[in-house]
Amino acid sequence: MHKARYFELVFYKTYADLRAEAARTYISFLWWILDPLINMVVFYFVFKVILNHGTENFVSVLLVGLVFWKWFTNSIQHALNSIPIHLGLIQQIYLPKLLLPLITILTDFIKFMVVFSVLILLLLLIGITPSVAWISLPVLFALQLLLVTGGGCLVAAINPFFPDLRILTEHGLTLLMFLSGVFFDVSVVPEPYRVFFFVNPMAVMIDAFRLVILENRLPNWFALGYVFVFGAIILAVALTMLARFDRVYPRLTLA
Amino acid sequence: MNANLMCSSPIRSLHNVGVCYQRRSGLFRQSPFWALNDVSFDLFRGEVLGIIGRNGAGKTTLLQLLADIIKPDRGVLQTNGAQATLLSLQIGFIPNLSGRENAIMSGLLLGLRRSTIQSRMKDIIAFSELEEFIDQPIRQYSTGMRARLGFSVALQLNPDIFLIDEVMGVGDANFKKKSSEAMLEKFHSDRTFVLVSHDLSMIRRLCSRVVWIEHGATRDEGNPEAVIRAYQACLIPPSNPLPRIPKETTGKP
Repeated sequence: MHKARYFELVFYKTYADLRAEAARTYISFLWWILDPLINMVVFYFVFKVILNHGTENFVSVLLVGLVFWKWFTNSIQHALNSIPIHLGLIQQIYLPKLLLPLITILTDFIKFMVVFSVLILLLLLIGITPSVAWISLPVLFALQLLLVTGGGCLVAAINPFFPDLRILTEHGLTLLMFLSGVFFDVSVVPEPYRVFFFVNPMAVMIDAFRLVILENRLPNWFALGYVFVFGAIILAVALTMLARFDRVYPRLTLA
Repeated sequence: MNANLMCSSPIRSLHNVGVCYQRRSGLFRQSPFWALNDVSFDLFRGEVLGIIGRNGAGKTTLLQLLADIIKPDRGVLQTNGAQATLLSLQIGFIPNLSGRENAIMSGLLLGLRRSTIQSRMKDIIAFSELEEFIDQPIRQYSTGMRARLGFSVALQLNPDIFLIDEVMGVGDANFKKKSSEAMLEKFHSDRTFVLVSHDLSMIRRLCSRVVWIEHGATRDEGNPEAVIRAYQACLIPPSNPLPRIPKETTGKP
């Protein structure tokens, strides 16, 4: 009986947060597209114009890398704060705390879908042609969503006990951005180091998205299997923690 | 009627319940603070139970326990599965959303299904007297308008146990009268109420039984008249110091 209401609550709160965010600025929804676009232009300017870095297809490699990285990093950062931000709420009513990171993760997923549509338009504009390999994209989306949900719920579960995690996560994400090959293709990583490079699940995901979207090839299913296991394990840990401390979070006053 | 109710089994039963908060006093140092340390009483179906006590006695923590928001660190809290909701006005309100959207948001958080809220939207709009303002963002509302909307949503609730912390009427004089009357009407149903208030005359008027909490422990319990008299006697003369409860030093995190 409560389950159905929790579903309604997650979807309505997601809708409400998106609407409220859009209402805060003059051009509202346009920012969802403009914000990542400006971000791409900044990195393009730095790497292509100033550093004169990269190969001929650098723009498309960068665009794909940034879009999927942004989805990941936004989801983690927003989920991280989801419990402390709603401390007042959970001190007055009972809610399964899992719902709080789920709401931000769903919000970021919807925003990502908008940005992804823009990405596809841009890629078609610069001459990328769709192929049958693209039918594997839903699988890749599902995998990254699993990874993002696992990671987001895990940092959300730990942060109330250890608020310093927010600062550590910021630096961790910056490091991970450079380790995930957002700005370069995996081909620049020397062969003996690739195994280590692909220990990072986001490196696997970004590489897979580039293979499918830009090179019309199918992804490495074995590597994706690793991402699945990785995501499933952290999600299981996160769910266990959130359930275990469900009635402890409202009492944490230091957040 | 109450005599019959008392024979049935309680819907919440507290035995020597304690709740401990860890206060951080240094990098790795924490000092335990027992917000509640020895509370025992039963709550029966259909009764209106009053809870009195000074500021900081632990009344709010007690309501959080009854609402199943937190769990006790010691003692036993038995529940029969009846659902308790703390009356939280304007909970989850988002300034940029319309009154209608906020009514849905707040109602969902308080335990109502979306279809229920929508079917009662007419009542909510009528009771809150917001009418044509209902589709405007609530950031344009006055404090009174927001209070009226919050109250009108909460009025749609019918939990098994209604927990009320000092809120009966809100808004200007007219609406205060109207809202406290609507609230009082609910008291005549067969629902269970737990009422926390410093308004002793109201407690006396509404409650069938009273629990007095002092320094996180039940000090007295029973007939409202007798408990309130003892409480007042303790409040007024400063020459009647309370027995200090020994400071606890151990507690699990």
